[in-house]
Amino acid sequence: MNHNIYFPQIAIIKRVKDEAEGIKRFSLEFEDAKLRESFSHRAGQFIELTVFGVGEAPISITSSPADKGFIEICVVNVGEVTAALHLKKEGELVGLRGPYGNGFPFDNVKGRDILFVGGGIGLAPLRPLIKQMFADRDSFRKMTILYGARTPGLLCFRDDLAAWAAQKDSIVLVTVDTPDEGWQGNVGVVTSLLPKVEIETQRTTAFVCGPPIMIHFVIHDLVARGFAEDAIITSMERRMECGLGKCGHCSIGTAEVCADGPVFSYGQLKELKESV
Amino acid sequence: MKVLDKKNAEKFLETLGSEHKVIVPLLSSGDINFGDPDSRSQALDYKGITHYSAKGFFFPEGEALLTFELPGRGEAGTVAIKDHVNDTKTVIWGIRPCDLNGLKVLDAVFLSEPVDPYYQARRKSTLLIALNCNQAGKNCFCLSLDAGPCAHEGFDLGLTDLGDEFLVEIGSEAGKKLIEKHSEFFRDATEAEEAKARELEEKSRDSFSSSLDAAKLRAKLPTADNSPVWEEQVTKCKVCGTCCFVCPTCHCFNIEDLKKSKKVAQRMRYWDSCQLSGFTQMAGHNSRPNQADRWRQKVLHKFLYLPHKYEGLIGCVGCGRCVDHCQAGIKIVEVLGRVADES
Repeated sequence: MNHNIYFPQIAIIKRVKDEAEGIKRFSLEFEDAKLRESFSHRAGQFIELTVFGVGEAPISITSSPADKGFIEICVVNVGEVTAALHLKKEGELVGLRGPYGNGFPFDNVKGRDILFVGGGIGLAPLRPLIKQMFADRDSFRKMTILYGARTPGLLCFRDDLAAWAAQKDSIVLVTVDTPDEGWQGNVGVVTSLLPKVEIETQRTTAFVCGPPIMIHFVIHDLVARGFAEDAIITSMERRMECGLGKCGHCSIGTAEVCADGPVFSYGQLKELKESV
Repeated sequence: MKVLDKKNAEKFLETLGSEHKVIVPLLSSGDINFGDPDSRSQALDYKGITHYSAKGFFFPEGEALLTFELPGRGEAGTVAIKDHVNDTKTVIWGIRPCDLNGLKVLDAVFLSEPVDPYYQARRKSTLLIALNCNQAGKNCFCLSLDAGPCAHEGFDLGLTDLGDEFLVEIGSEAGKKLIEKHSEFFRDATEAEEAKARELEEKSRDSFSSSLDAAKLRAKLPTADNSPVWEEQVTKCKVCGTCCFVCPTCHCFNIEDLKKSKKVAQRMRYWDSCQLSGFTQMAGHNSRPNQADRWRQKVLHKFLYLPHKYEGLIGCVGCGRCVDHCQAGIKIVEVLGRVADES
């Protein structure tokens, strides 16, 4: 195996699923059998995905750390690399580097109530953590999942949301900003779901992920409800090139989002310039 | 210490050229640039600093990291990946103390874990023959950052221009071996020659017209977010990124794929600049949309963030190139001085 830190490992696209409008989910398997076995990641980490000849892009891993032998990513068609990925068919090859980043805290939030707030594709990095927590259900207390998208057609992971709602002592609420004719659920931005659930702020840790404007307002509301700054955890999105803490693109203050993050508590972010 | 007569210097370089790629400062139309001594009719330049620093010989402006050879459409097979780690034996002659200190910053970034193999290979295969500055340039302020005008470490051989000869200080085992191997060009230095070098260093230290109180600036920066200085620069700055490209410590880069043919692509790395608006552009939003913030980021990165990450190492060596080459004529050192002096 080549130890060059920029060297992508080759992976085969095993499955492509239309997840939502303009969003596809890809299941990837390393070509190298040993790597398929040895690869492991923490919830909240990401990979640098190569579409050969087009470039690289940082993408969250959306499969659970417990899922072995394959990696799932869920990708919006929004840039050059992701557009090229969307054209790829099952059986075609891509490259992977990683996993990178710190990942979400897990062991040190055991015994607490957990609140997830996700917006759009922001549910993708939260999904491995949610799956990991449900797999270790007795270690956590109440699980509340609030999820919003702009339209019903943009909602991701509908099967998972239904399965999580059916788990004991869990609440799943979904909302859309703009409903269509068939939509019978909540209408409004994701913060409009917060007053609908009972939260014991002192014993809850919140995991928040979505577009920057959503993160901004969710944090604002959680702080207003009395959440401690270190009990609000989010994953930052920044332009990245190397994923190795060297290229300078994702710096916020003294932190490189790719290497020191992407997961930060609100308390940490407040210390970093230009973060929220 | 040793002495190398100037008439022997070119012969020494010629001899080195049989085993190494030799890079020297060359003067052309008033501009000094590093280049190949064989491919020119210009004189070796022993005065002034090069337009670009020596960083490009370790971290090139553009380089191929990898080559991908893809299977054809519909064909079975995998992607063949080749890397382009380059360890050509190289000698850089005439690298100035500011650039040597710039390499300390690049070393911290590229040689800290995870180690960058491209930078590491070039660094390991390159001998540095430094040249002390006997006179500060008008925009030089390396003295303020303890990065010049003379270096006594960080090189393999260190030269001081005594007029007709160079005093040679040995800075490494490799430097010592180089002299042993080419002993015909060197002789032992006399007491008087060593004393003359010390005197020249003293004179050089007195020749600065530009300075920066870095300690004062660093103390002021954490609370200088709302300084009017940042916005003021925006009206002048042409957003060209030159200040970063000529800087010996700036190390930000892009990675891009370049299609060579239907089946062959190269993964390239290029210098980038935090001053350009695309630097933080993502699909859908830009996390640093204002030029004033980009300006401040550059300064904070150099004077606060890098020292925080790498044991006090400041990302400025006072070479003055960002002032020399600013397209808008911004005197960055004066601007920073104003931030340091704000009440």
